[in-house]
Amino acid sequence: MAFISSGYDPNNPMQDRITDIGPRNFEEFYPPVIKNNKGKWLYHEILQPGVLVHVSETGDEVYTVRVGGARLMSVSLIREICEIADKHCGGYIRWTTRNNVEFMVDSKDKVQPLIDDLQSRKFAGGSYKFPVGGTGAGITNIIHTQGWIHCHTPATDASGPVKSVMDEVFNDFQNMRLPAHLRISLACCLNMCGAVHCSDIAILGYHRKPPMIDHEYMDKMCEIPLAIAACPTAAIKPKKVEIDGKTVNSVEVNNSRCMFCGNCYTMCPGLPLADKEGDGIVLMVGGKVSNRLSAPKFSKVAVAFIPNEPPRWPKTAETIKKIVDTYAADARKYERLGEWAERIGWERFFEKCDLEFTHHLIDDFRDPAYYTWRQTTQFKF
Amino acid sequence: MALDYEESKQKIIEGLQKKSKTKSKFYFNDLAKILDAKPREAKKIVTQMINEGILEFWSSGSTSMYGLKGTGKQAGAEHENE
Amino acid sequence: MAKHETPLLDQLESGPWPSFVSDMKQEAEARAKNVNNVEYQIPSDVIEDLLGVLELSYKDGETHWKHGGIVGVFGYGGGVIGRYCDQPENFPGVAHFHTMRVNQPSGHFYTTEYLKQLCDLWEFRGSGLTNMHGSTGDIIFLGTFTPQLEEIFYEMTHKYDQDLGGSGSNLRTPSDCIGAARCEYACYDTQDLCTHLTLEYQDELHRPAFPYKFKFKFDGCPNCCVASIARADMSFIGTWKDDIQIDQEAVKGYVNGEFPPNGGAHAGRDWGAFDIQKEVVDRCPTQCMRYENGKLEINNRECTRCMHCINVMPRALRPGKQTGCSILVGAKAPILDGAQMSSLLLPFVEVNKENDYQEIKDVIESIWDWWMEEGKNRERLGELMKRQGFQKLLEVTGIDPIPQHVQEPRHNPYIFWKEEEVPGGFDRDIHEFRKHHQR
Repeated sequence: MAFISSGYDPNNPMQDRITDIGPRNFEEFYPPVIKNNKGKWLYHEILQPGVLVHVSETGDEVYTVRVGGARLMSVSLIREICEIADKHCGGYIRWTTRNNVEFMVDSKDKVQPLIDDLQSRKFAGGSYKFPVGGTGAGITNIIHTQGWIHCHTPATDASGPVKSVMDEVFNDFQNMRLPAHLRISLACCLNMCGAVHCSDIAILGYHRKPPMIDHEYMDKMCEIPLAIAACPTAAIKPKKVEIDGKTVNSVEVNNSRCMFCGNCYTMCPGLPLADKEGDGIVLMVGGKVSNRLSAPKFSKVAVAFIPNEPPRWPKTAETIKKIVDTYAADARKYERLGEWAERIGWERFFEKCDLEFTHHLIDDFRDPAYYTWRQTTQFKF
Repeated sequence: MALDYEESKQKIIEGLQKKSKTKSKFYFNDLAKILDAKPREAKKIVTQMINEGILEFWSSGSTSMYGLKGTGKQAGAEHENE
Repeated sequence: MAKHETPLLDQLESGPWPSFVSDMKQEAEARAKNVNNVEYQIPSDVIEDLLGVLELSYKDGETHWKHGGIVGVFGYGGGVIGRYCDQPENFPGVAHFHTMRVNQPSGHFYTTEYLKQLCDLWEFRGSGLTNMHGSTGDIIFLGTFTPQLEEIFYEMTHKYDQDLGGSGSNLRTPSDCIGAARCEYACYDTQDLCTHLTLEYQDELHRPAFPYKFKFKFDGCPNCCVASIARADMSFIGTWKDDIQIDQEAVKGYVNGEFPPNGGAHAGRDWGAFDIQKEVVDRCPTQCMRYENGKLEINNRECTRCMHCINVMPRALRPGKQTGCSILVGAKAPILDGAQMSSLLLPFVEVNKENDYQEIKDVIESIWDWWMEEGKNRERLGELMKRQGFQKLLEVTGIDPIPQHVQEPRHNPYIFWKEEEVPGGFDRDIHEFRKHHQR
């Protein structure tokens, strides 16, 4: 493995340096049918799950075949996508904001060969490489964060639970039987570097134990004032600790104030908090971002804790499936999950979905808590 | 009035060295305060100090901080790996 | 023969949904075979070791990564996330596993030629694993060693005319919905505005000098497909001022069952015949429509542009012609004081390419000036708005208060009147007062 230079000179980083050029311009990447019809589209229709047609005032049509994919993607798989796009789509391809891949063709006769090609490709392990679906009143791809594959503060994995849940609800990826579309998201800790707080169903990794303190190494590894400042609830204070007869600088953590965010660990590796028994999943439901019918809504906590169960997270997947099926059977056409829960009342939501209500589900965090308690005599028995 | 670069540079170096016993990383606002300058003015100075290799960035991924290059307890561990 | 046994991960290969484990194994094998004789610049067994350390996490129920904050490319404060394995002896291929954020083209359209170039670069100098895409929208190069960071950046900028995205306390890589490129609902050109502002604010994107992260997101219509209202400090949401365009013939088409409602989105179940009264008119949140004698009427003045009727009958109804965007500000995820949606600041702004979007830039810059001076460390714009008040936001942006700014007026009368608002001011003569009021 010989080092091959790109031309960069480490002793003179500013030489020939190019900066601040930004992204490539989108215009270079539009397929011709898009370039010619931008801003001229009249309407669209979903012809079958995963297949859309958009019709332009020029008379042009673009057919889109949408496929799901893992967000984690190898260069070999991307090259395979390129090969398909070269064969069927004139060398153009796009991704959606929810990790789906869209293959576009400019006439109807090109659609079926493309679908056949996509559906025929499978991994050695048996799963589809490019399942067609993710449109309309169904479940599309889950947006998610890194989890155990790359993050330093996750309370759960991301790719594993996503694969498990998508396998469980796969029929709804390829069908459009739901009252409205249903969006699932996953963030592997409460910092939510993927914002999941307005999803129909949010899967959230959550730690339940405060950090351990590596007293012996704290002052060697960490800058203690930074660890203290990192804590959003001011739960960390400096403390002198005796180790083997020597007094060392360290910290103490007020456990009752800790919200398990891991921000101190980011600043200071002497404060790890991950824990097999402590960590698991919170399920939140009923959020949305669209302004359609009702205003955008935050997701609400429906299940306070489900243990991590790698590799397949069965309890998480089953609970989500149960919520989806109950919603599908009970909600009215066009009603999003949160609108349905509000119409029937949250007391009914818990009953119908067979979910236990515990004290953990009553908000006690700062000001917004009060607004979630019930200030009316209107409720259901 | 534009800040004088050399003078501002010295102010920042001295300001950060004074606190170097307890911490090596500072928020941008801390630097602007040392200069007693508007953020946009301070940024010009700080950027030049980065480009001269006097300051370096530190990032938690979500938050960024600045420090004198090579200082701090994690710096040793990370630069070793280069 | 795999380098590490992965009995737990192997169980994620079955089932219909694309298996990331199968993909990783396939890539590990491809690297081992190396049919194209690539001179891998990081260990060729990087993915084997990644599978190994992930399997260990599946066994331990805990992550094995440590954060590193210093690595990056010279002069930039963002775009690289430093990561180290906490078991480097057992998994030397991922001893370093830094990510790079590559600023995606707006709209996520690509030519295969360009994607293949990125693949070649990343296979050669990194793990060959990506995220397509990260939560913010960037292309993510997942996992390389420190010495490769500058090399990758040099090749990317010199050969592929491509820059990194943002991370840390800076402007994060802006992102947008598909917009006018392939959507009839788009009220402005999201791709153009997104790219224009990304280029305009390159310094803010690469050199962090903000109190915390700052996000722009561009939604072409109130359906909000990029969720700007929930996660962007400034949400640009397409809207219109005039009347919804109606094609009465097409309305009849829906009523007669010639066209599937909602663009066919509900075709997976028999919901019965389409009922325009029940499904559109009665569901309208402002009750501003009626359907009589085969004609749909909309009282546009009362319409709040929720998109429902347009979504249900896309062939018959279209947004108006006088389009632009609403600007809402201050959304964030829950950490720390709770989640916030963006709040309406400007009901309607023309999105005007001709003057380089000057009106929009003026708003952005006045907000940044305020937040950079007054924002506390790690305080998002939404939190500053809560701390100093919406009035302060109006003051710094020079925007006059209007009823559209609030859901409802305040619940308390504790108005902090300013001296200049009260006739005669606050200075009074106690002796004069005492002439008429005994002690």
